[in-house]
Amino acid sequence: MSAAPARVVFTTGFARRYTGSVTEFAVEAKNLRGVLREMDLLFPGLAETLEEETTVAIDGAIHETGYFQLVPPGAEVFFIPKIEGG
Amino acid sequence: MNDTIVTDSVKRFKWVGTRPIRPDGVPKVTGKALYGADYRLPGMLYGRILRSPHAHARIRSIDTSKAEALPGVKAVITAKDFPDQKFDYIGPERVAVNFWHVTRNIMAREKALYEGHAIAAVAATSASIAEEALSLIKVDYEVLPHVIDVDEAMAPDAPLLFDDMITRGVEPVPTKPSNISKRLEFKTGDLDAGFAQADVVIEKEFKTAAVHQAYIEPHACLAHCDADGQAEIWSSSQGHFQMRALTAQILGMKIGDLRVYAAEIGGGFGGKTVTYLEPVATLLAKKSGLPVRLMMSRDEVFKATGPTSGSSMWVKMGVTKDGKLVAADGIFKFQAGAFPGSPVMNACLCGFAPYDIPNARAVGYDVVCNRPKSAAYRAPGSPISAFAVESVLDMLATKIGMDPLEMRLKNAARIGTPTIYGPKHAHNGYPETIEACLKHPAYKAPLGKNQGRGVASGYWFNGGGESSATMQINADGTVLVATGSPDIGGSRASMAIMAAETLGVDYNQVRAIVADTGSVGYTHVTGGSRVTFATGTAVVNATKNVIVSLCKRAAMIWDVDPEGVVWEDGYAKPASSNVGDFKPLSVREIAAKSAQTGGPITASASVNAGGQAPGFSTQFCDVEVDPETGKVTVLRFVAAQDVGRAIHPSYVEGQIQGGVVQGIGWALNEEYIYNAKGQLDNAGFLDYRCPVASDLPMIETILVEVPNPAHPYGAKGVGEVNICPPMAAIANAIEHAIGRRLTELPMSPPKVLAAIDAGA
Repeated sequence: MSAAPARVVFTTGFARRYTGSVTEFAVEAKNLRGVLREMDLLFPGLAETLEEETTVAIDGAIHETGYFQLVPPGAEVFFIPKIEGG
Repeated sequence: MNDTIVTDSVKRFKWVGTRPIRPDGVPKVTGKALYGADYRLPGMLYGRILRSPHAHARIRSIDTSKAEALPGVKAVITAKDFPDQKFDYIGPERVAVNFWHVTRNIMAREKALYEGHAIAAVAATSASIAEEALSLIKVDYEVLPHVIDVDEAMAPDAPLLFDDMITRGVEPVPTKPSNISKRLEFKTGDLDAGFAQADVVIEKEFKTAAVHQAYIEPHACLAHCDADGQAEIWSSSQGHFQMRALTAQILGMKIGDLRVYAAEIGGGFGGKTVTYLEPVATLLAKKSGLPVRLMMSRDEVFKATGPTSGSSMWVKMGVTKDGKLVAADGIFKFQAGAFPGSPVMNACLCGFAPYDIPNARAVGYDVVCNRPKSAAYRAPGSPISAFAVESVLDMLATKIGMDPLEMRLKNAARIGTPTIYGPKHAHNGYPETIEACLKHPAYKAPLGKNQGRGVASGYWFNGGGESSATMQINADGTVLVATGSPDIGGSRASMAIMAAETLGVDYNQVRAIVADTGSVGYTHVTGGSRVTFATGTAVVNATKNVIVSLCKRAAMIWDVDPEGVVWEDGYAKPASSNVGDFKPLSVREIAAKSAQTGGPITASASVNAGGQAPGFSTQFCDVEVDPETGKVTVLRFVAAQDVGRAIHPSYVEGQIQGGVVQGIGWALNEEYIYNAKGQLDNAGFLDYRCPVASDLPMIETILVEVPNPAHPYGAKGVGEVNICPPMAAIANAIEHAIGRRLTELPMSPPKVLAAIDAGA
């Protein structure tokens, strides 16, 4: 039996621009590289946009959108706008 | 009194959590430290920039011929000397850079968009010749109507800064241009249903003034350019790698042809993450063939560099009788300045973030107007929305008769609480700051006549990202740690502490430096409260790599397998008695044999650090209002902040005190005052009133330590969230003192007096 897929979520505004307003996807992947690859298969070019424009929250913990980030089974993966401080 | 509250089981460290003397202290207190304006090279020219006297004007022509003919003038440049840039928003939404805008901010092209906008630049053999040359440049302006205020800039008949600006984020796409660059919205739950559950609903409008970061050191840099096109820059900034990247893009240079050195920096607070001078100085140096130094006057700093946005806001919140927040709605309109890019998105994301509110919405507008382009300022955007949200919260608490801290505690975000932007909170820390204030003896202390107490909280994301570090073991066993993070808040001391702790050596054995772009790997800016977390992680990783190398060298000295060596308390030791009976080797002893064991002992590490924890701060203050003058005196200020683990507590306390003081200035005095022509009338520290020591009580700090497991020592960013609560805390205190709610910053004596008189 395969592991529970991750729940990949986009903000409404982002989904409107890039995913036909669909905000949630179930994706089977072990790391963020796998998530990006699966999303790129659904929406060609989306992976590059995600890499450039977003930060990712995996089960709430915020990370840069790097391939190496592990995605635990059943994780909640939110792509959110990148933040820059002062 | 400053205090520390540790929430985890106490883990003892030798150096982490101690307060050693900072390695850059002596040169700074003896005046020997070199800031941006201190660098000189043989043959150096003096650069000056001609700036627009008009808030909004079309540039019909610029005649530089007389300036170029003046003896001593070696170069004159205008926007025509810069390559134009493609109109394209690049990068993430909040920080999207459009170099078409950036190059026009550095040097005006078609129009001057604010008083102080750079029009031309000269380089001459003396400052006085450069100044005279500026007076010989003839600019033919067509003066246009201007707009300063954000609400006025959004009006349908407002003067337009850009004739083709169509608001992004609106559907259907508008057909007419406006000054509204972007609309954005974040929403969760059902607002109508939420407000229907509320027993008390309060809505209020707020305005905040644009305020400057008010760093003491004006922008300055020195550049020289070789005949082969390679250039070097010495610059005071929050990120010399950032200055390298921006300068290369603006001038069409290869990044590899630029080397940038970090000067000491006299404050930045976000305002030195952007470039104004470096491309100009480099281009003047290239054109003249000589080194060129550019430095701003205080007047130029105020008129031409980024303040944070002024704003106009509306916030509505609903609460049940027992103090449960059920709905919140906010509209946040921010001045971007002359080009798009205010921190309004952060305001939307942060305003309601400290609370568990099931139904919430935040709408933001990014609006251009004839002011200098806004720049980051300490938790950019968050303090502004916090002023509105935390003011309404206080009014709700008063209305239902609940202690304002207790109401915050009841609704505090904890691990698993959803945010308005989607993800659930992954860290605690906020309730602990509220509890720290509740337990503080002064919170229940009696108040006198015309005195009031106010509380407020704040949230900031904190940053991670890319950082690099290199460690060298010297022949005598001393240790050099080089990072790419300009040291603004004592980071060299913190890096040395973490290296000493990890390596197990004395702090005084470690020297931390800020290396130039050619001497260490890429490192993102010193900003976003990211350095101790991200660069600190790189330092710890580099140290661990060095330890691996030291163990291998020890194994070679003992002629055993490397697996037979362990590192403990600063010494290589046999892993077990089976390895052999060897006297432990210190760093110095191993370093002394480095030639025999393979050469110099060095290691580097680069990270893209993630898992950073956000910052939460809760503060309370006591104020006294003079009913005759409206002057507000801050009598007491207590700031509790979750700091993860304080690597060097003195600098953490300093960050908190600094943020609070800037917040007090924002609350009570600081503002830009424009005249009818759109010209700034208070471009100096005499008239732009920052708080000074005599205006302030001792800022009492409470370090709440809820460690972040994603950092080797539990550190969290500490530099920004402290500026979020003060404005609302003071507004709340003033209301409790005089019974009048002030909704516009600054709450200067005339406004307070008017509020008192209105209630008389």
